[in-house]
This record gives sequence, structure tokens and C-alpha cells, in this order.
Amino acid sequence: MALMSSLLLVQGESPRTSEYQLKAVFLFNFVQFVDWPPSATQDSQPPPPLLIGILGDDPFGAFLDETVRGERLGARPIQVRRYRRIADIEECNILFISRSENERVAEILAAVKNRPVLTVSDGDGFASQGGIIQFFTDKNRIRIRINLDAAEAAKLTISSKLLRVAEVVRTPRR
Amino acid sequence: MAIRDWPIKRKLTAILLLISGLVLLLTSAAFVTYEIVTFRQTIRSQLATRSRILAANSTAALAFANEADAREILGALKYDPHMVAAALYDRNGRILATYPAAPSADLIPAAPQPDGYRFEGGHLVGFTPVAQGENQRLGTLYIASDTKAVSDALRLSGVIAIVVLAIAMLAAYALAAALQGRISAPILALAETATAASTRQDYSLRAPKFGHDELGVLTGSFNQMLGRIEEQKQELQQHATRLEQRVAERTKELERRALELQAANSELDAFAYSVSHDLRAPLRSIDGFSQVLLEDYGAQLDEGGRDSLQRVRAASQRMATLIDDLLKLARVTRTEMRTERVDLSGMAREIVLDIQRTAPDRQVEFAIAPGLEAQGDSRLLRVVLDNLLRNGWKYTGKQAQPRVEFTAVDENGGRVFVVKDNGAGFDMKYADKLFGVFQRLHSITEFEGTGVGLATVRRIINRHGGRIWAEGIVDQGATFYFTL
Repeated sequence: MALMSSLLLVQGESPRTSEYQLKAVFLFNFVQFVDWPPSATQDSQPPPPLLIGILGDDPFGAFLDETVRGERLGARPIQVRRYRRIADIEECNILFISRSENERVAEILAAVKNRPVLTVSDGDGFASQGGIIQFFTDKNRIRIRINLDAAEAAKLTISSKLLRVAEVVRTPRR
Repeated sequence: MAIRDWPIKRKLTAILLLISGLVLLLTSAAFVTYEIVTFRQTIRSQLATRSRILAANSTAALAFANEADAREILGALKYDPHMVAAALYDRNGRILATYPAAPSADLIPAAPQPDGYRFEGGHLVGFTPVAQGENQRLGTLYIASDTKAVSDALRLSGVIAIVVLAIAMLAAYALAAALQGRISAPILALAETATAASTRQDYSLRAPKFGHDELGVLTGSFNQMLGRIEEQKQELQQHATRLEQRVAERTKELERRALELQAANSELDAFAYSVSHDLRAPLRSIDGFSQVLLEDYGAQLDEGGRDSLQRVRAASQRMATLIDDLLKLARVTRTEMRTERVDLSGMAREIVLDIQRTAPDRQVEFAIAPGLEAQGDSRLLRVVLDNLLRNGWKYTGKQAQPRVEFTAVDENGGRVFVVKDNGAGFDMKYADKLFGVFQRLHSITEFEGTGVGLATVRRIINRHGGRIWAEGIVDQGATFYFTL
């Protein structure tokens, strides 16, 4: 019983701060469960970094930088980039779209369409709008919703393990 | 019974059983130990494999903190009843999910421990890293398995070991019982033969030989020894038989000689008797006619003629005495013995009185011990005492204070009678001639006598089964000892 109460305590502590801490870890963990199509630059020396981009207001603060510090995928270092405008977006692999960009989601998605970019956001209805991964909260826990059609369109392969722990949706037919 | 007193059979069996038992025990122990060690290794690697599979499956659940999924993955452990508990820790060491869903507190450590698999407090526990990709550590999987499988394996291999041990010991016992005979049988046979030979003294026995090993050599030597003893025993018996034969032969010869001697002696006695007897008649004529000549014609003879006649008479009288003595000697051997109790002291006193009556002018001191008695023929014993006492009286004739004793001493359980005088004595180198017929140590002019007396005495003593001997010193006296 002591263990159970300590478990509850861990999950109950400071929900706001730990929410983005957790999301930062999740964002980083996606690197392990998603395969990007081979790119022209990936075998060059030195290996190109794997880029995690944040578009709009950065809700993570230092958490994300701390999480990815020193981490690599194979030989590729993992780096965080922050963008203010759609035009700034370069060849990033993961693009986190901040809630501040909620109004422009369709525009942003259109901009990265057909490019191997894993789009992530915690904005409501992101997945159904064509985003690939959406964070949502269920019973006080952060869950993942994945739009498989969007992932396929982006030529990304998502590990079945990730699919196991996620809620899978399809793009609604117009 | 002390071990050293056990029969060889039992000793051999015990040694064989002890050795095989020890070997089997060590082998069984090694077998059980090997079983346990390999089994522990096996279940440890099984747990490691299972842990790695589970860890690989639970990466996403850990990566995205999906508690339900994690619980579901761990829940699969229920298909293995040996799995006691399991837990998934996240990167920060916090528990994400447990198996069973509500475990008792002491089964799940609060924080992950170093990776690895170890036996701990009756459980096999393992901490496995959960990682996706190369070095992406997501957390830790903990699994605890009970060691019932190990104890089951231990029990099984123990039972197998005990069964094998029991069967092997039975086989070893049977083999030992069958094979110990190879060694013990020759020894037992040897011991049996030795016992039989020594108790029955039968040296014709032979121990059976079983082979040409050391025991065979021993048996051979033993049999040879028996053979040698047998031969020697036979030789000894032959010698004894030969010796007995010779003794018997000698005895027969001696008996024959004795008979011959006896015959010769009695012939001689008869001769002496008849000669003496026949000599007396002419001698009486010589003496009688000499007396007639002296009385009737003495006046017509001169002095020389009368003296010659006197000498003829004296010589013929002495010859008569001699013949009488010889007859007496012969009679001693011819007369029959009548044994009775004889009062020697009284008899000696009578003889002394008789001696003193015939020569009242001589003063000789006689000392006769009272109460001397003996078993024998009184007539013959009187001859003995008469001779010895008269000899003492006679040979003290030149002594100033003559003295003759008759006593007895007890020597070696027998009675020895002693007649002792202080007279002329004799030289000890003539001691063996003393008792011969006609043997005289003094001339007739010194002391008169015929030389037959002591010979007679010895014959009488011999007829009584006794012995007579003498000691003497010249001029200091003689002592005669006799037994009856």
C-alpha cells in the first residue's frame, strides 16, 4: 500500500511543469520509434544532425535541450531548433507546432506536406486536421494519437510498438 | 567384536563396500552439484532471455509512460507460475507498472538495482535494461522468479542419486561377496588345514592350492613344511622302533648271559660243595691217624718226629676250618630264605656274649645301639653280624683301647647299618678286594683267618637285595656299611 501511495504521489506532483517535461521526453523518444526515408545527406561526413524543430512559442523551456543533450541516433547528433515563421523551417525531422500556432495549423501542414517531417502538436484536433502525432490528456495522463494516413503521406514508418501505446486515427474523408 | 577380530571374508567385503561407497558418494555428490549448478545457470539464462524479450516489448510503454500497456505486457508473466513479481521502472527509477497489479510490498524493490541476474533471498531476481535502439536507455525491468524449480531439480537429482547409490551399493555388495572368495577361500582353506594339522597332529594333510599368486606360493610352502614334518616324524618313529628293537635284543642277551652266569655259578657252587664235602673224609683220616700215631707211638719218636706230627695235625685242622667256611659260603647261596622281622640289636648282644666267653682275657668295648631291626632271614643275618663283629674284635687286637660299634643311620630315605672299629684298618686302594673269596689284606701270622668271611657276608647282603661297602684308614680303623 505504501508503494501504491508513492506511485500516486509521483504522478500527482506539480502537473503543469511535469507535463512539458514529459512531452519533451516523448518528443525525444519519437526518434527511436520512427524511421525516416533515406535522405541524400545522411551518409555525408560529418553526419548531419537530426533536427527537432519548435515552431512558435517554446513551451518546454530548458527541458527539451536538457533531454537531448549529448544524445545521438546512430552517429547523428540530435539538435533542437526554434522557428518563428513557416519560412524558417529547414530540413528538420521532427516539427513540434506550439499552441501559439493553432490558427495556422492547416497552413503549416500544407507547407511540410510530402516532406518526411514528423509533425507533432498538443493542439486539439491536430491529428484529424492532418497532423501526424497529437498529444492529448486522458484521465490526467498524457496520451498519443497518431494519424497513420498522414504518416504514410510523409513516407514515415512508425514502429508498431509506438502504435501499440497510441490511439490511431485516419484522416476523415471529405 | 573388534574390527581386527572380524573374519577375513567380512573384512574384505567391508573394505570393498567402503571404497565403492565412498567413490559412489563422491560421484553422486559431484553429479548433484553439477546438476544444481547447471540448472541454476539454465534458469538464470532462461530468466535473462525472458527478461530481454519483455524489455524489448515494453520499450514503447516506458518511452511514452503508458501504464496500461506496461501492465498488460507484464501480465503475460502469469502463464509462468514460477514468476513471482515484476516491475517496470522509468528512466528516473520510478515504478510505471508492476506484476501482479497489487503486489505485496516486499516483492518489489523501491528503486532499480544494478543490472544482472542473481539469487537473492530465496528468489532469482533480474534487472534488465530497457532500451530502444543502441544506447537509448528507457528504464529497467525487474523480474523475480521463485527457486522452486531449483529445489525441484535438487530433489529429483537427489532421488536419482540415492536410487543409483542404493542400486550400485547392492551391486557392489553382491560383487564383493562373490569376489572376496578369490582371496579369502585360499586363506580359509590354509587356516583350516593348519588347524586340523595342529589339533589332530595329522601331517599327511595338504591345503588345496587355488592359483599361482602369493597365496598359492604360501600354500605351497605350507604344504612343503607339512611334508617335511611328516618325513621327520616318520624318521623319528623309525629310529624309536629301531632303538626299542635294540633294547629288546640287548635285554634278551643280558637275560641269556645272566642265566648262563647263574648256571655257571651254581655249577661252581655245586662243585665247591662236593669237593669240600669229599675233602673232609680224607682230612679226618689224616688228623685222626696223626693223633693215633702221637698217642700210641709218641714215645718211640724223637722230638723232631713229634713236632712234625703236631704240624700235620694243625694244618689239617686249619684245612677243616677252611672247608667248613667254604661249605658255609656254598650253603648261603643254596639255602632257601625265610623272611621275618629280626631284632638286630639283640642278635648282636648274643654274638658279643659268645665272643667274650671264648676269650675272657681280652677286654674289648662293644657299643650296640638299641632297637635296630630289619626284615630278613635271621639265620643268614646272624652270619653277617657274627662275621662283622668278630672281624672288629679280631683286628683291634693290637689296640690299647679297642672299641667296636654297631649303629645305624638314615640316609636318602633308607636305613644304613654301620659296624665300626678302631683297629688295624686298611688302605682304601684295596677296598674292592675286601669282599673277594680268599682275599686277605693281612698275613695269617698277623691276624688269623680264611678269607671267606666277607665274601659270605656280601653274598648274604646281595641275596637280601642290599648293598655293602667299607671305608678304612691304615691303623685307625675300618667302617662297614650295609643296607638290607
